[in-house]
Parts: sequence; C-alpha cells; structure tokens
Amino acid sequence: MTSIGTGYDLSNSVFSPDGRNFQVEYAMKAVENGGTSIGIKCKDGVVLAVEKIITSKLLAPGKNKRIQTIDRHVGVAYSGLLPDGRHFVNRGRDEANSFKSLYKQQIPLPGLADRLGTYVQNYTCYNSVRPFGVSAIIGGVDEDGPHLYMIEPSGTYWGYTGAATGKGRQTAKSELEKLDLQNISARDAVKEAAKIIYAAHEDNKDKDFELEISWVSVSETAGKHQLVSDQLLQEAIQYATEEAESDEEMED
Amino acid sequence: MNNISVDINHLKKGEVNLGTSIMAVTFKDGVILGADSRTTTGSYIANRVTDKLTQIHDTIWCCRSGSAADTQAVADMVKHYLELYEAQHQQPPSTHTAASVFQEICYTNKDNLTAGIIVAGYDKKTGKGEVISVPLGGSMHKQEYAIAGSGSTFIYGYCDENYKKDMTQEETIQFMRYSLGQAIKWDGSSGGVIRMAVLTARGVERLIFYPEDYQKQ
Amino acid sequence: MPGLAFDNYQRNNYLTTKGYGSPTATSTGTTIVGCKFNGGVVIAADTRATSGDIVADKNCEKLHRLAPQIWCAGAGTAADTEMVTQLIGSNLELHSLHLNRKPRVVTAMTMLKQHLYKYQGHIGAYLIVAGTDPTGAHLFSIHAHGSTDVGQYQSLGSGSLAAMAVLESEWNEKLTKEEAMKLCSDAIEAGIWNDLGSGSNVDLCVMEVGQDAVLYRNYLTPNVREAKTRSYKFGRGTTAVLRESIYSLVEVQEEIVSFKSAAEAIEVDA
Repeated sequence: MTSIGTGYDLSNSVFSPDGRNFQVEYAMKAVENGGTSIGIKCKDGVVLAVEKIITSKLLAPGKNKRIQTIDRHVGVAYSGLLPDGRHFVNRGRDEANSFKSLYKQQIPLPGLADRLGTYVQNYTCYNSVRPFGVSAIIGGVDEDGPHLYMIEPSGTYWGYTGAATGKGRQTAKSELEKLDLQNISARDAVKEAAKIIYAAHEDNKDKDFELEISWVSVSETAGKHQLVSDQLLQEAIQYATEEAESDEEMED
Repeated sequence: MNNISVDINHLKKGEVNLGTSIMAVTFKDGVILGADSRTTTGSYIANRVTDKLTQIHDTIWCCRSGSAADTQAVADMVKHYLELYEAQHQQPPSTHTAASVFQEICYTNKDNLTAGIIVAGYDKKTGKGEVISVPLGGSMHKQEYAIAGSGSTFIYGYCDENYKKDMTQEETIQFMRYSLGQAIKWDGSSGGVIRMAVLTARGVERLIFYPEDYQKQ
Repeated sequence: MPGLAFDNYQRNNYLTTKGYGSPTATSTGTTIVGCKFNGGVVIAADTRATSGDIVADKNCEKLHRLAPQIWCAGAGTAADTEMVTQLIGSNLELHSLHLNRKPRVVTAMTMLKQHLYKYQGHIGAYLIVAGTDPTGAHLFSIHAHGSTDVGQYQSLGSGSLAAMAVLESEWNEKLTKEEAMKLCSDAIEAGIWNDLGSGSNVDLCVMEVGQDAVLYRNYLTPNVREAKTRSYKFGRGTTAVLRESIYSLVEVQEEIVSFKSAAEAIEVDA
C-alpha cells in the first residue's frame, strides 16, 4: 500500500492514480478481520454457517443470533461490521417485500442479489457515506432451485457453489474445494459446514467461538430458511471435532 | 369541502365504453382468448372492428372490458412493467406475474378506474395455459376459463354446462365461437366480429369470425 | 403552478346541478375524417367554428401539423385541440431531434393519448391522427379520455355520423389517392350539409409515403357567399332632420399663471 498517505484514501468516490478505491479496500480489511462465514450450495438447498466469536464470557450462549432471514426462503450470513450487516439485511427485507407486493410471489434469488449488489455499490459513490464493512453470503431456494451468492463491499456479487469470507476464508475455501458439491445432501452439508468452521477456527485459535448453522432445503425444510435443530447441530459438532481429532492422528 | 359533498363517482360523460363480451379458455395445448369487436359512446358505435385482445408479453395476452381509455392505459403500463421485469430477471414473466401487476394497478386505483380484465397466457416451462381474471374491484381469480363483460351474463349457464377440461383446439374454438355468438345475440352492447388469439407452444395465432360465420351453426 | 387547476371542480359541478351553468368554450361542432389508400393517407375537415348556436368563424383551420409528415384533424374544444396539438408537435420535434430520426405516427398517437389520459377528459380534444413514417402510412383516432382506435377510415365530431354513412357505403380496399381524396371530401360535405355544427369549406391534407405532405386549404368551397343583387346602402339624407339642438356641456376658462416671480426668489449665488 505505497499510496497510503497520498490523500487518495480520504474519500469515497475518488480514485487513486493507479485506479483503486482505497475506502473500498479498507472496508474489505474490516471483513477480513471478522469471524468466518461460509455457504454451501447442495443438491436441493443451501447451508450457511458462521464462526461466532465470543467477545465476553457474560454473553448468553445460544442467544445473539448472527445468521438472519431476509425472506422466508432466503438466509444470509456475513462477516465484518455487524451493524452494517443488520442494515444490509433490512434493505434485503424491504426489497423482498416490495417485490412480493407487486408480483405476489417470492423474489427470485438472482433478482435479490442484483438489487442488493446495486444498493451496496451506491455506498462507494458518494463522499458523504462509507462502504459497507461486510461481505454477505446470501443463500436460498426459489422456483429455479438453490442459489448461493456473495456480495462484497464494492458491490460485486458472484454466484457460488461454495463461498467463504472472514478471517478463516482461505482454510475454508480449500476445505470447500474438497467436497463433492454437485451431489452433497443438505444433511451432509450441515456436518461438513461444521467441520469447515472448526478447521477455519484454527486461524483464530486464541478466541472462543460458537457455531451457528442454518439451512434452506426443499426436502429438509420445505423451502424455508431456518436454523438447524439443536440435535442436528450437536451431531454436526461431534462430527466436526471427531474428524479434527482423526486428522490430527493421521498427521502424527 | 365547504360542507358540499358531491358524488363525482358517476360514469365520466362521453366516455368510450367497451360494452363487451369477452372470454378466455384453457385447453389441452394452451389457452384461447376471445372477444366481440364493438366499442360504444352512448348509443353510437364508435368502432365496429375493435381489437379488445391486447398483447402484454410474448405469450401473455389480455381481454379488456370497461372504459377503453382506462384499459388501454393500464395495459400499456403492464406491458412496460413486464418489459422491465424480463430485462432485470433474464427470464420471461409468468402469467401470474402479469396478472399480479394488473391487480396491483387496478386495486390501488379502483376509485378512478373502470376496468375488468382477463389475463391469459401460455407458459413454456409448464406447457400449460393459464387464465386469471381481474374484475372491477381489483381482486384476482385463477380460473380454468373466464367470461366477462356485459354480454357474459347471458352465457354463464351455457359455459358452465358445456365447458370441458382439456378440450382440443378445434373443440375450444367451437365452444367459444358459439358462446360469444350467443352473448352478441342477446347483448345490445356487444357485436361486430368475433376475434380470437390462440396461445400455444407454436406461438400466437389470430382468428376472426364474421357474423355469417357465427350466427348460423 | 403551471397547468390546469381543479380547485373549483366539485363546486362548479354542484352549481351546475343547482341550475347555474358554467361558461361554455368555443366548440368546433365539427366533421373530420381520415382514410387510408394504397401508399398513403388523407385527412379532411370542415371549417366552421361555433360558440353555442352562433357561427364564430366561417373559415377556421382544423387541420394541424404535428410534424412535416404527420397531420392531425381536431374536433371538440377548439382551444384544446389547438394547444394539445402544438404541445405534442413541439415535443415530437424535440424527440426526433434527440433520436436523429423522423418521428413516427404511433409515437405522436402515444404522446397524445398519454397526455389526454392524464387529464381524464378535461382536455376536450377529439383527434384523427394520420401520417407517413419509415414504417408506412398510419391512421388513428383519439378520444378526449385517452382511448385510441386504429382503422382504414375514421370519422369524428358532431358530423361524424353523416360522414361515416358516406365512408361505410363508398369505401373499398383498393382506393387510389384521387379516390381517397374524393371520398374524404364527400364525407366532409355530408357533414357540412347535414350537420348543424359543421359548415363552410373542406380542408384536406394528403400524406404519401416518401413524399412531403400536401395541404389543400379550402379544397372545396361550396358555400361562397353570393354577391348581393341589390344595394342596401341608404342614400344621404334618407333620414329627415326634424330638430336640431346643440348643448355646450363644457365651459372653458383660461387663466395665465406666471412662474417668473417664484424663480427670481431663488438665490443662486451665496
């Protein structure tokens, strides 16, 4: 970052001479320090998981949910500045609502991702605002099946089969690549998601964390986005920790 | 307003009306829309060869009844909305989507509109025809077939008795031609020719039947 | 605020029901027609303007230019047909400058119908729009509430029934330009003779594909006023002078006021 201190990073809507927007890059830095979030697109649905960093021992376990619902069929997990994420989700809900009131059907995911991408991009254009400090992974099921998108602070959005963001994204991405995402069932994806979050936590070992997993699936949740049951979560955690131990044994 | 309350909700003076007989019927291969061709201003026939079947999208059409100005304006608006929809979503809108937009406009402006519309379309995905009627108050009803307009009152019984599921195209045309023929016969505000639009996988086919064609049989 | 004000709409309606009629605008009790032929389109109009049962103008112009090759015949409220036609004509020119293309007849028709629909019939313009553009020759009619019709031949205005009778009996699919001109002027003449609101002359405009529009102002003048066979001038002295009396209503007094003494009183040098 040789250009830092030249003044080109002081405002949005200003390019540096080599064509960069520093405010957006700083926003991405904020994302990179956040807890890991991942999304897996499976055969008939989507699984979202976050590594929720525990900032205080006094925080009530199992409360303070990090994964949110935009519409009945759409969930979102994000890394970065949490209040920015909540504002982002509110906008998503407004968009889903306005679509439903006009067309009397649920918003298709590509349409929602496009609207949200446009919204986020707008925050990179004016010097009175700052970009969103989050990368959001939105997943859901519509008429055309499951979809998974990730929207970045620049407003860029891509469709994924497996997406990861936050501190442990590199580890998570290499783990995701090992999966057979074309054929994995939602139930298996939940377990793999747990395992990936545990693996990614190795990058953030000094802090405690809580695992949060949600899913949208045609067969498992009738197309609705919801948190996985406690029982399934425990199974997934057990799978994740056992796998981690056996991996260690193999290393020995 | 100065304690003077005046009812302004009467029919606008000199407005062009589509005293009408319209219908849309689903059949084996898709859906067919049909209408008479009479437009009136009071007792004068302003147009005897009107086309009350309006294209809203590639394979979504509608039958218009009520005020000509209102239904044309609403149809133009929906046409515009669906053009935007396809550009934004990279896929054609469904018949249900089209009907929803009609419903939204007709309901929110119900105090200022006289529009009874039947939306009908062929869906490539399902290979089926769909009929949704949006009557005066701005409600929305999915039906196997729908009839509307002043002439429709005379053919409720006939249509109820003779409509069959999954008819062939020829049977459906026959059924509609006779139904609309009767509606025209008994309704003074309906008349002229019978126009049809056949929506199937093959696209759109327009038909016209002259009085001598539909009066006998 | 520009535009129309509807503040008194309800009150005026109320007063009308109480028997206090609102003032009437000059209405072109009119006959206008249009007819397509192979390779073009003709429109025509009579030239009588009325206000109530008075003929306000014996030779007014009801054919308006929207664009060089798109013309429009107007019936209804004279001021409204004139103004709406000028407004849309102006916007149509800007539009064609913007696109660097010749304006289309459907564009003119759409702009007019959307404008009229917005005013819900309060702009009392009933129009027949016709013209040629790169897509061919077109003919439309527009009602004040914003509805439009397409057809091979159209008639509008109080004389439209008389005109339509001619069109319905004489029109055929294979008209030549000359036959179309004859048909239109015949239809207008039917209005002139049989409709009280229509009269005087026939104006006509021919638009052929790929050619400039030609306006025939007073194409027919079947109502030329005859020269008077007798003189109705009264000769000097026709009226006898019985008595003459002259009153002096103003008394003129003159008084000369001198300003000289006042001017002298002013001290110029200290």
